[in-house]
Amino acid sequence: MEKGQNNPGNIEYVIGSEKTLKEIISEAEVIPLLKSAVRAGASKAMVINPDGKIIWTYSNHIKDRTVSETLTLPLYLEGEIVGNVVIKGDSKERDYLKGLSGMLLDALNIIINNNLKRMLTTEIHTTVVNRSYEELVETNTRLKISEARYRELAQNLEKKVQERTEELKHVYARLLQQEKMASVGQLAAGVAHEINNPMGFITSNINTFGKYISKLKEMIEFYRTINHDSSKAEKLYERLKIDFIMNDIPHLIRQSIDGAERVKKIVSDLKGFSHIDDACETMIDINREIDRTISVLAHEIPEDAGIIRDYHELPEFICNPALICQVFLNIILNAIQTKREGLKLTISTVFEDGNIRIRFSDNGPGITEDLRKRVFEPFFTTKDVGKGTGLGLTVAYEIITAYGGTIDVESLPGEGATFVIRLPLKRTQKMIHDTGYRIKNNQNNKPFIVHYGDI
Amino acid sequence: MIEYDELEQKMVMKLVYYGPALSGKTTNLLRLHDLLAHEGRGDLMVLDTKDDRTIFFDLLPFFLTAPSGLKIKVKVYTVPGQVRHDATRKAVLQRADGVAFIADSRLSEKTNNFESFENLEKNLAIVGLEIEKIPLVIQFNKRDLKDIVPESDIKHIWGPTGIPIFMASALEGWGVIETFSRLADLTYDRIDKRYGLGENHGLDKETFVKTLTHKAQEV
Repeated sequence: MEKGQNNPGNIEYVIGSEKTLKEIISEAEVIPLLKSAVRAGASKAMVINPDGKIIWTYSNHIKDRTVSETLTLPLYLEGEIVGNVVIKGDSKERDYLKGLSGMLLDALNIIINNNLKRMLTTEIHTTVVNRSYEELVETNTRLKISEARYRELAQNLEKKVQERTEELKHVYARLLQQEKMASVGQLAAGVAHEINNPMGFITSNINTFGKYISKLKEMIEFYRTINHDSSKAEKLYERLKIDFIMNDIPHLIRQSIDGAERVKKIVSDLKGFSHIDDACETMIDINREIDRTISVLAHEIPEDAGIIRDYHELPEFICNPALICQVFLNIILNAIQTKREGLKLTISTVFEDGNIRIRFSDNGPGITEDLRKRVFEPFFTTKDVGKGTGLGLTVAYEIITAYGGTIDVESLPGEGATFVIRLPLKRTQKMIHDTGYRIKNNQNNKPFIVHYGDI
Repeated sequence: MIEYDELEQKMVMKLVYYGPALSGKTTNLLRLHDLLAHEGRGDLMVLDTKDDRTIFFDLLPFFLTAPSGLKIKVKVYTVPGQVRHDATRKAVLQRADGVAFIADSRLSEKTNNFESFENLEKNLAIVGLEIEKIPLVIQFNKRDLKDIVPESDIKHIWGPTGIPIFMASALEGWGVIETFSRLADLTYDRIDKRYGLGENHGLDKETFVKTLTHKAQEV
């Protein structure tokens, strides 16, 4: 068996292996036959080996019996002489003994053949049964393995489905928020456009109005000089407090123009914030974007709130500004909502080790440890029903991770919360940085405090 | 593979008659038993059959002694042809030294022949034998019937394989000894190469084949 040995699970067996006479036929089967031969008249009956050695023998115990004849007949097994049947007796009974030995041989042959048949049948049967059993055991083992694999697969599938569901939930949340922001942006841009037109002629008219008023003032002065003795006119002049009006008008106009300018700025900030014009990735200055976000949030920021900007020069960062602004907006809004009175929000930016780091520290109630783990989960909110979507920080998390950055929250309950954003500069950006980057804002690098009321 | 006991100076060869169900494997052995001389062979041992179909196997043993005194036993087996007895076929096929594939010549049996031959290839591989190396002859049996595949077709299909093909009618007793002789011939070559039957034991091929196929004297 050359190849068979390399065949795993293949048991070795051979049908019809060589057997000796003694293995096929037993003493218990032979002796009665020999006994019968002796009883029938032989003095001795034997089965001997081809080399003459006695295997089985039976002889008459009556001593006086003549032994003058020996008959030997070959005993075949599968064509091979495996022994001899020997009958001894009286030569006078030769023919009778011949018949007797023939009968004995035939009887032995029949037993041998039947035994051999039975043995072969048993052998093949056992072999096949064993083999079938082995195969069944093998199949069973394989089935068990495959069952285990499928079970594991099923379990993993559940986990996988959960993971995918979680992922989808996140993406969905982000999409939802983006869509919301996009429509808000569109609306803002539309409104801004609509406001810009009337604001244009309002500003222009106020300016013209100012010029007209000064002309009218000049005219009134002229009338007063040529008619200064008209006590009636002077009385009216006094009563109408025209002097005061004349002095106040430039202030009013100045204020109106300032107001109009402010409206213009708000509109432009709104437009800039929504980034309705540049939807794709551009180079931005993070400091400027934070400022922009604060401007847009102006109406939300309480009068007494203090926003401390501790900005350091930053390299330009390539990203979708609308997304980044959304991150800032969500975090700042969160801070505002946690503390309506006496809010102090410190925003610091710094560039170190190839990363832009932005910290938003508030003096709100802080976040407990178990909540800290969940703040970035979608639909998780501590706000009252209807107030928060539970998506703000999730979206912030999604956006920052999309840029390869991290966002973490540090907090001690009662001592406020700090959101730390780390944005890694991409390789191309690093190159820009290394070859000298442009700083657009806040070149003196000093922190400055702005109370919203001052703006 | 051959069983060889150097100490006992004994060798046992195993030849297997393979083929689809009812193609005449047992009939082949019966004919060999009838046609060949009683001297030097044992009785045909037909293990249990059911409705004339082999369940286990049949065994026809031969015995000869080489001039060197080497005792050679040649055991010719049949396998059960029915598909369900595949485990038995595999068991019988173990350590075979030569195979005679008995095909059924009837047109209706083409598929069965093909499937059985495929089964032979598969089982030989399972028991670790190579169909390209093992002595193999093919017999197209039942040539006495009508509706059989023409001999020219058979030669056309099997000729290129180089496997010896024999036409036979086991029922009528012709082609049977030829098939057996050729199988013995091929098997001798294989074993001679390994054990030097001619050189070491003085047994040439002609004597070997002749001894095995020694016909019974016409009565």
